[in-house]
Amino acid sequence: MRLDPKHKISRKGLTVWRLYGIFEMLGILAVACVVSYLTIRNDWPQWIHAIGITLTLLSLIFSVIIFPKVRWERWRYEVREQEIEVKHGLFIVKRTIIPMVRVQHVDTTQGPILKKYDLSNIYISTAATIHTIPALAMNEADELRARISDLARVAEEDV
Amino acid sequence: MSNPTITYKKLPFATVAISALSILKTFLIPIIVVFFINFGKFTLNFNSPNFWSTIFTAGIWGVIIIFTLLAGVIKWWTFFYWFEDGELRVKYGLFVKKKRYISFERIQTLNYHEGIFHRIFGLVKVQVETAGSTDGKPEVEFTALTREAADQIEIEMRKAKAKPVTNEETSIEEDTVTEPVPEIVTEAMYKMSLKDLFVLASTSGGIGIIISGLLALLSQASDVIPYEKIYGELAAIAKYGVLIILLTIFVLFILGWVASLILTFLKYYDFKIVIQEEKMIITRGLIEKKRLTIPLNRVQAIKIVENPFRQMFGYATVHLESAGSNNDNNKESVVMFPLIKMHAIEQHITHLFPDYEWQQNYVPAPKKALPYYYRIDFFYIVPIIAVASYFLYPWGLLTLLLIPFTMGLGVWQHRTAAYCINDKQLTLRYRGISRVTFFVQKHRIQSLSSRQSYFQKKNDVMGIHLSVMSGASGAKASIRALDQADVEHILEWYDSEKIK
Repeated sequence: MRLDPKHKISRKGLTVWRLYGIFEMLGILAVACVVSYLTIRNDWPQWIHAIGITLTLLSLIFSVIIFPKVRWERWRYEVREQEIEVKHGLFIVKRTIIPMVRVQHVDTTQGPILKKYDLSNIYISTAATIHTIPALAMNEADELRARISDLARVAEEDV
Repeated sequence: MSNPTITYKKLPFATVAISALSILKTFLIPIIVVFFINFGKFTLNFNSPNFWSTIFTAGIWGVIIIFTLLAGVIKWWTFFYWFEDGELRVKYGLFVKKKRYISFERIQTLNYHEGIFHRIFGLVKVQVETAGSTDGKPEVEFTALTREAADQIEIEMRKAKAKPVTNEETSIEEDTVTEPVPEIVTEAMYKMSLKDLFVLASTSGGIGIIISGLLALLSQASDVIPYEKIYGELAAIAKYGVLIILLTIFVLFILGWVASLILTFLKYYDFKIVIQEEKMIITRGLIEKKRLTIPLNRVQAIKIVENPFRQMFGYATVHLESAGSNNDNNKESVVMFPLIKMHAIEQHITHLFPDYEWQQNYVPAPKKALPYYYRIDFFYIVPIIAVASYFLYPWGLLTLLLIPFTMGLGVWQHRTAAYCINDKQLTLRYRGISRVTFFVQKHRIQSLSSRQSYFQKKNDVMGIHLSVMSGASGAKASIRALDQADVEHILEWYDSEKIK
């Protein structure tokens, strides 16, 4: 068995994902409300309300409570001298190795919610793929970005 | 620093016609559709209620056409190119002037493309690429050049590359003196024979025919299948209905096959490969001619594809995944051998790619991995069957055939799945429908992933997925399920030893 990568992502990341889940739920709730309103107005069958309520509840259970938790528990990453390894996935656990010499550039980005929690996403680009490490503490992300770009020496004759 | 001998060159005026024609070609179908839909409604009678819509439609298309022509004229009017200081320089633009200078030494490839309109005027489209063009777009594109002008660029490029520039003085002199042309290798390393071309063209759409032919035959087997008992008085209608539908499908497939035969024939006619200074030059085409250049050191991976039909006869197609734009719609990989006998590949390819190993001892997917090649498909198949059977009863029940079909395909894919690693190279063999053998060197792999679902974990089975650079979007290879120990072994191989 390969050992798991060492680091987990910040605990605040879980909060942020829960927040995203809540937004998603609110979106569904809003649609459900509109449909319910139309149902009452146009005398559509009553079970339409039930569908709306069920979907909202499912979204509450899954995208707010369960999925963020599992995702957060699963997420591991490790930046080593020679490579970056990440492991993540809800249903299918993916484990990816990106050699340092393949890294072309590293970006960090931060939306308003992440900013509030002092987190940011880090994007690692190779010539063919882009990999993300989400919701890292700001200083950690900056440090990581600096470290990766230090370690990454692209051998250009290979591309 | 201007040089008195510099001549600014323009594209030939026919460029305008060519670009206008090729844009109009893409508009042709919408125009025809619009015309036919509104056929009865067009009128120039002012009192008719359709008058304004006629004017409006005609006006819109008129404006589009005029703008297209105008844009072509402006582009031609403002586009200049010239050679200076060992660089290819172009400038264009009406309001926003753009200039682009490319050092000849940096030019990796010159690709030629003669479309049907180019052929009429005897011109050629030239795309200039450097190592930087990784987003699938060429650095400079000459819409149309005369053959001589295109050759001129190539000659200049070869001159610049042949003479390592010591200082600016000499390089400028070089430009002004008419040099003898460096000789160009023209001996083809590989030429596709006419027979191969026919086999290629006739097998390019082959599977559909066989399947539909079999179905039509099956429908004749009504003696065996008790239609009468199943459908009672509907039997006759059902029987003939099925026969007619299947015959129609069969005819459609035949037509499709003929079309693909013709298209393939036109596309790959006179296919040949010339190797020249570590570059592979592929030319092909009957009506539309293409010339692709692929620097050998930019080849990222080699892919051998055998569609089942061709696999039966021992034929395969060889693709190259090359960094930089591949020029074939930017999506496909470059076809190196459209059709070649499996056993002949090695002899043709070994000296071009000496680092690769072709004979392999493959490690197959273990038996326990088998269910993972079809089980996941049930997620969408079962709902399809349920819905189809419920709403389209009884014919919807035919969707039940999807189950043995998917399982059969899964078993087939499982049998194909295998990998091999040695010192520097990873080889994956897998099947969608065609069998693919993907050869890649360790230092070309951009990233490597394992994938494992909850159920796979219980059985110690794992999938593998790799990306290499190719064209704009990169290329991928993956095997759905292998032994977990094997996949971890590959990951270990990839990250343990220092890559450089």
